[in-house]
Amino acid sequence: MSNDPMAEIKASFFVECGELLESLQDALTDMDEGAYDNETINVVFRAVHSIKGGAGAFGLDALVAFAHRYETVMDEVRSGRLEIDHDSLKLFFHTADFLADQVAAARDGLPEPDGSEACLQELEALMGDALPPPEEEDISDFQPMGLSLDLGISDAEFGDFGLPPQLEDMPDESAPWSLTFTPSSALYASGNDPTHLLRNLRDLGEVVLRCDLAALPDFDTLESQHSYLSWHATLPGELDEGDIRDIFEFVEDVCTLELTRTSQDARAETTEFTLPDLSDLAPLGADPSSMAESVEAGPAQQADPAPDTPAPAETPPPAVDPPAAKPTPQASPNAEAPGATVRVDLERIDRLVNLVGELVINQAMLAQSVAEAGLPQNSKVMTGLEAFMMLTRDIQDSVMMIRAQPVKPLFQRMGRIVREASAAVAKEVRLRTEGEATEVDKTVIERLADPLTHMIRNAVDHGLETPDIREAAGKPREGIITLSAQHRSGRVVIEIIDDGAGINRKKVLEKAISKGLVPADVQLSDAEIDNLLFLPGFSTADQISALSGRGVGMDVVRSAIQALGGRIAITSEPGKGTRFSISLPLTLAVLDGMVISVANETLVVPLSAIIETATLTTEDIRSLGPQTNVIHVRGDFVPLYDLGAELGYRAPKSSYEGGIVLLTAQDNGERSALVVDAIMEQRQVVIKGLQQSYGHIPGVAAATILGDGQIALILDPADLVHNASGRTRGLETALAG
Amino acid sequence: MSALSLPAKLDLSTVEAFCDAIRARKGGDLVLDAGDVTLLGGLGLQVLAAAAADWRQAGHSLSITPRSESFDNALTHLGVTLNDLQSTEAA
Repeated sequence: MSNDPMAEIKASFFVECGELLESLQDALTDMDEGAYDNETINVVFRAVHSIKGGAGAFGLDALVAFAHRYETVMDEVRSGRLEIDHDSLKLFFHTADFLADQVAAARDGLPEPDGSEACLQELEALMGDALPPPEEEDISDFQPMGLSLDLGISDAEFGDFGLPPQLEDMPDESAPWSLTFTPSSALYASGNDPTHLLRNLRDLGEVVLRCDLAALPDFDTLESQHSYLSWHATLPGELDEGDIRDIFEFVEDVCTLELTRTSQDARAETTEFTLPDLSDLAPLGADPSSMAESVEAGPAQQADPAPDTPAPAETPPPAVDPPAAKPTPQASPNAEAPGATVRVDLERIDRLVNLVGELVINQAMLAQSVAEAGLPQNSKVMTGLEAFMMLTRDIQDSVMMIRAQPVKPLFQRMGRIVREASAAVAKEVRLRTEGEATEVDKTVIERLADPLTHMIRNAVDHGLETPDIREAAGKPREGIITLSAQHRSGRVVIEIIDDGAGINRKKVLEKAISKGLVPADVQLSDAEIDNLLFLPGFSTADQISALSGRGVGMDVVRSAIQALGGRIAITSEPGKGTRFSISLPLTLAVLDGMVISVANETLVVPLSAIIETATLTTEDIRSLGPQTNVIHVRGDFVPLYDLGAELGYRAPKSSYEGGIVLLTAQDNGERSALVVDAIMEQRQVVIKGLQQSYGHIPGVAAATILGDGQIALILDPADLVHNASGRTRGLETALAG
Repeated sequence: MSALSLPAKLDLSTVEAFCDAIRARKGGDLVLDAGDVTLLGGLGLQVLAAAAADWRQAGHSLSITPRSESFDNALTHLGVTLNDLQSTEAA
């Protein structure tokens, strides 16, 4: 973890940017579906505005400039001066994509993304020339302030400068603004700096600014990270109060901000003090003047703002003691209140996950010791252990949930891929997402991005037809790609479904034969032909397009999914479309497994893969070919695999009568029966990856440590079956039989 | 006369060390080199202003030279003049 506080605060800003970009995408998607209500438009505006504000605090000028121009256009939409249609919405999405790039560029210190300016110009062209300049809009938007609060603020404000309070003087709407800004130490500690805020203030218009140094203590007693300074500014009266306050929006709870319109008489005086002769300022090191005291005491002296007072006249709370319920002017009454959250460094969570893993192993060891001690079932130790086991399980589930995240951000990224890919190949495509709230381990989500991107591009490029072909086939011109996620028996299943032409199996087979991937005379089922797509180097595109054919094929996708302990299956129907199903573990840390024994080896089979267990009788077993058997299960024949033989522990048995089988199911619905010597127990095991040290081992997903300290391999039944020989009869047995 | 270079970014992350460095040079004339400054924050400004007052009171000179363009711009943005941060007293 970095020790640089600024770097940490900045990193946290970029995390927030991610959330803001997510809500921006959400709102744009809502608008795309016809929700043009004020709240939705406001969400878009606020997301862009918040990114701009935060970026300003860190001096990320390029990001500020980009967001500002986007925000300006969204403000036109918000005010109803700019109508939304399909084309403008497309541009809003496009600009949001660029905004995400700008954020990434700012985060990684990269140059501004290419095409940003062109995108903004296209966006700004929506506004046309007929619109009034921003200043005029500000005036039309202006809301007069409540009188009662002005009086309070004026009192404190002008008292600071020894000016007559002029309480009877009603400020008029063109009177210049007087602003006093006093940052607290917390403002600096949170990574903000007046430098950026005051620069933004200066960007609003002609600002007369003076730094008040009077509160500075002697140099010897000065605490370098304590805040002593305050600033007084006079701003043009035509500025919108909201625009001025917006600059300080992000620091409103760590500073004191007083903003009032000067009265006629005060203005005359103001002119004098806004252009001060610096030599007249209070000498440094002198006793802190009444000015500083007044600034500190100012808000406390003000009249209590009535709860229903309009926002513009609201007085910010004193910096030293921010109230628990900070007013959030941007919160809409209809907006869903987000739950309280806390950001935790991922490293800490991983440490906790590891510790819980160790706890599970220890608990298993303890359980084994207790069992070996031969204590009666109803003894206090046994009941205590049982409660301990349940508690361990609960802790484990809770800890895993901390690492789990909804797939929504990932799906949103895919929205962009669809937009870009469809534009590149001139197809009309709409992405539908389902189950965005489905939660999966963070690492799984991160490592899923690349394979998913590739599959989405493939779906746009190969899966969907061109609009003309679709129309000719009686389909809507716009193709649909559905991206869905759901939990299914302890795993998460992500599907990418297109309503395109389906896999052209004839072409796939021809291609595979021409590339020498399969023999010319091969007889393959539909499913087997579909699976040819996963062979290394396979590409059906006759010509390399802008999107595909870059040498990265579905084999890479499958490897990536397998590396996550997942599987990928494909189904396709000519003329109707193709469906890719990815089945992934919810977590990469633990799994529920069945501990089995084969040839004196202890192994673990994931419980999620097992449908049922059975003991074989002679009637169940049928021979098929010289070396293979199938078993008869309720009217179906299921291939039989001898786990001991497949793993190379021993030769196939001469007889499987009385043997125990695990009936497993694969994602494509195929079942297989694995012969084991004994089932020992069901238990949760902590996954210890082997991939990094040993690479991919066919049939083996990972390893674990059992209660007795023994290491057991965790099997991947689907992969095992995929690579299996299927020999369940020795050659001699077969010949003799 | 001693000399001290200002860090490129004089903000929360550097101000404490800078303040200590400048305190260590009390009691004599001092020239601060702000030629590499890209960011002058509020906390940095405080230290410079308080130091200048201290130097003035002690009758020593404190000057800031050379100065980067960013430094001079920051003074304008922060509403101070160079005189606020220097001491022209001669020992």
